[in-house]
Amino acid sequence: MSAVRAAVIGGFVVALALFGVLELLARRPGSRIPTFGDVCAYVMQYEVGRVPVGRIGVFGFWWWVGWHFFAR
Amino acid sequence: MEQSSELTAEVPRAWDRPVVSIPVIAVLSLVGGQLPSFSTAANLYTIGTGGALIWFGLSRRVPRRPTPRRLGDGAVWWIVPVAMFTVVEGATFAMGSTDDFPTFSKLADPVLDGQVTRSAAYFGWLAAFWVLVRR
Repeated sequence: MSAVRAAVIGGFVVALALFGVLELLARRPGSRIPTFGDVCAYVMQYEVGRVPVGRIGVFGFWWWVGWHFFAR
Repeated sequence: MEQSSELTAEVPRAWDRPVVSIPVIAVLSLVGGQLPSFSTAANLYTIGTGGALIWFGLSRRVPRRPTPRRLGDGAVWWIVPVAMFTVVEGATFAMGSTDDFPTFSKLADPVLDGQVTRSAAYFGWLAAFWVLVRR
């Protein structure tokens, strides 16, 4: 394995590990960090007029993720 | 004068309970895990399950959990992993997703070739989707 490939994999691993660490910190009692679910819910409540732009955006992104990994 | 107080609690519908939703997601995941990439069936299945969940999420048929009015200052910490993942993914994509610069999906492809890991990943995708629908 080349050093560059190892560094790339390391970058992904660190990023994913940071997601896990932050989620654990957010779930501590009295934490000032919101959970990732709360962040998503906050984004999802954004509306333009009566159009739930936040929900459509988050659902659309997650739908694309599934399609990209399982169908393409 | 004695005041009467009334406590109300929302009773979840039968299909909204984990004892129902988790087995349903598990069965959907086992089916999805059998479908190979680039097949018509995999495309239709992913579009169908995701489309159904989006329909649930945009309609008011599923009860939603309360949304936070505002996020605290600590929310900025989430920028760190999101930015790091985006930078690595963007850089590897710009380099053409080669063996030396693999994108995340290129790294995931051999893992998702196995039916067990593919079904497990499918379960994670659908379960997270269901959590989002209920937010």
